[in-house]
Amino acid sequence: MNSINRTWPADTMGRVPYWVYSDPDIYAAEMERVWYGPHWLYCGLEAEIPNVGDFKTTTIGERPVIMTRGGPDEINVVENRCAHRGVKFCQVRKGNAKELLCPYHQWNYSLRGDLQGAAFRRGVRGQGGMPADFDPRDHGLRKLRVAAVNGVVWATFSNDTPGFREYLGERFWRHYTRVYDGRKLEILGYNRQHIKGNWKLMQENIKDPYHASLLHVFFVTFGLFRADQKSATEVDQTGRHGILISRRGQQEVNDVTSTMRTFRGDIKLADPRILDAVKEYPDEDAIQIMTVFPSVVLQSNLNSMSTRHIVPTGPDGFDFHWTHWGYAGDTPEMRQRRLRQSNLFGPAGLVSADDGEAIEMCQQGFAHSTDQAALVVMGGRETESVEHMVTEVAIRGMYRYWRETMGL
Amino acid sequence: MIDRDALRDFYDDYYTALDDGRFEEWPAFFMEDCLYRVIPRENYEAGYALSTMYGESRGMLIDRVMGMTRTQMFAPRYYRRFPGPIRFVSREGDSVRVRQNLLVVQTLIDRKTEIVLSAVCHDVLVSDSGQPRLRERIVVFDSEMIPNSFIYPA
Repeated sequence: MNSINRTWPADTMGRVPYWVYSDPDIYAAEMERVWYGPHWLYCGLEAEIPNVGDFKTTTIGERPVIMTRGGPDEINVVENRCAHRGVKFCQVRKGNAKELLCPYHQWNYSLRGDLQGAAFRRGVRGQGGMPADFDPRDHGLRKLRVAAVNGVVWATFSNDTPGFREYLGERFWRHYTRVYDGRKLEILGYNRQHIKGNWKLMQENIKDPYHASLLHVFFVTFGLFRADQKSATEVDQTGRHGILISRRGQQEVNDVTSTMRTFRGDIKLADPRILDAVKEYPDEDAIQIMTVFPSVVLQSNLNSMSTRHIVPTGPDGFDFHWTHWGYAGDTPEMRQRRLRQSNLFGPAGLVSADDGEAIEMCQQGFAHSTDQAALVVMGGRETESVEHMVTEVAIRGMYRYWRETMGL
Repeated sequence: MIDRDALRDFYDDYYTALDDGRFEEWPAFFMEDCLYRVIPRENYEAGYALSTMYGESRGMLIDRVMGMTRTQMFAPRYYRRFPGPIRFVSREGDSVRVRQNLLVVQTLIDRKTEIVLSAVCHDVLVSDSGQPRLRERIVVFDSEMIPNSFIYPA
């Protein structure tokens, strides 16, 4: 385990030192304690591998893995690293196969990751071959613990990770099952972007309603996420997960919008179908966007649904994979509505492009000032859920948990 | 009848308007009733409809221009588009279907120029009172990992 030679600022809850985003030792320790520690990591959606033999490659933490469907009710996640010489042997995004084959020396594995055969294991014409003590059972792919929960596939490297429901906590389990309620999902497609910022900034971005109600002019102007609306910022008991909730308001000048320099009262849409949202859940919320620490953002914004998968690539960057989905039973109109609204999200999103840009600008600003610290005292220094969005409570919650996990 | 000369002139005007940042002129290159998609190749080939940038009317393209010029926040940049030769695919009555490769590069302040999109465009043009306009433009990009954001249209 790496040792960390850093001291947290005296204002424990109100400050986040900039070295958390750039120190390579911190990053290395995060890999072990956070990403490969007792946490469920997002792998993908069951709908991506509907048929037996289907597989999908992805990366969790920094490690390449393969998610396979071994049977109608069997999903496996194994490392995409041959047990022989460490080859990342599967290079395609998706496919269907009876077995997993490494092209380098033709070692082949079952869809569960068990070694089935190693070429020339018994030698050729009496020459070579594996030693007598070679047991294929000792040379399978590394298998991860898997939880497939209402259509989403999670995996963990640790034996200490609690069950998925316990990992979320009851409050967040309710939020999770509001959207992932057991109905079959349908993949609408992917967006992928690389953002030159520390991975935690993406978690913070979705734990930060303070920015969302100011930066995102599109949201603000059309009353989708704004400080004068009924809203909530919730944090789970551990502090690690968060959710931002907002009900829709109007494009109106009032005591709040009149103080916002990003509110544009004069903007009219030439084709307002992009905001033609319909209610599809029992509650009145227009936006529920949830962070499951550390690897994913679960978006349910208007009728646009996506998972946003965080793949760290070093202290100063991460890949961000968006999987947009609908329910398998959607009408053509509903599917079209989701596709239309996806213009707001992704790397070209009228809302979300702002976030990738802001994150990169953060990293540029603080990367070389590790003796300084960010201020996160909006709404106080507490970490309890609140019924508004003028707060940084969920960021404070995450760092309370992060410090415990990192031993800082 | 849209001939090769008319097509060349059309695309010269199209790309010059975009490269020069005259985005308010961009929607008029399309028919009122149109389809515009910038879509990752993996989605296109899998039959997934999700597009990175999407419009199904000239109005939506007008809104896209409004969004990027008045509501989005991003670091300043220049885009420059390098189209390849135009290839005729088919002709049906008044419309012509063409394809061409397209490279879009961006330059941010004090940064090296980098590729935003390496793509092929599948376009359908029609003659609208003697003026060619796009009824459909599908920009399919191989470069699926976008360097942060994709702001200006292709």
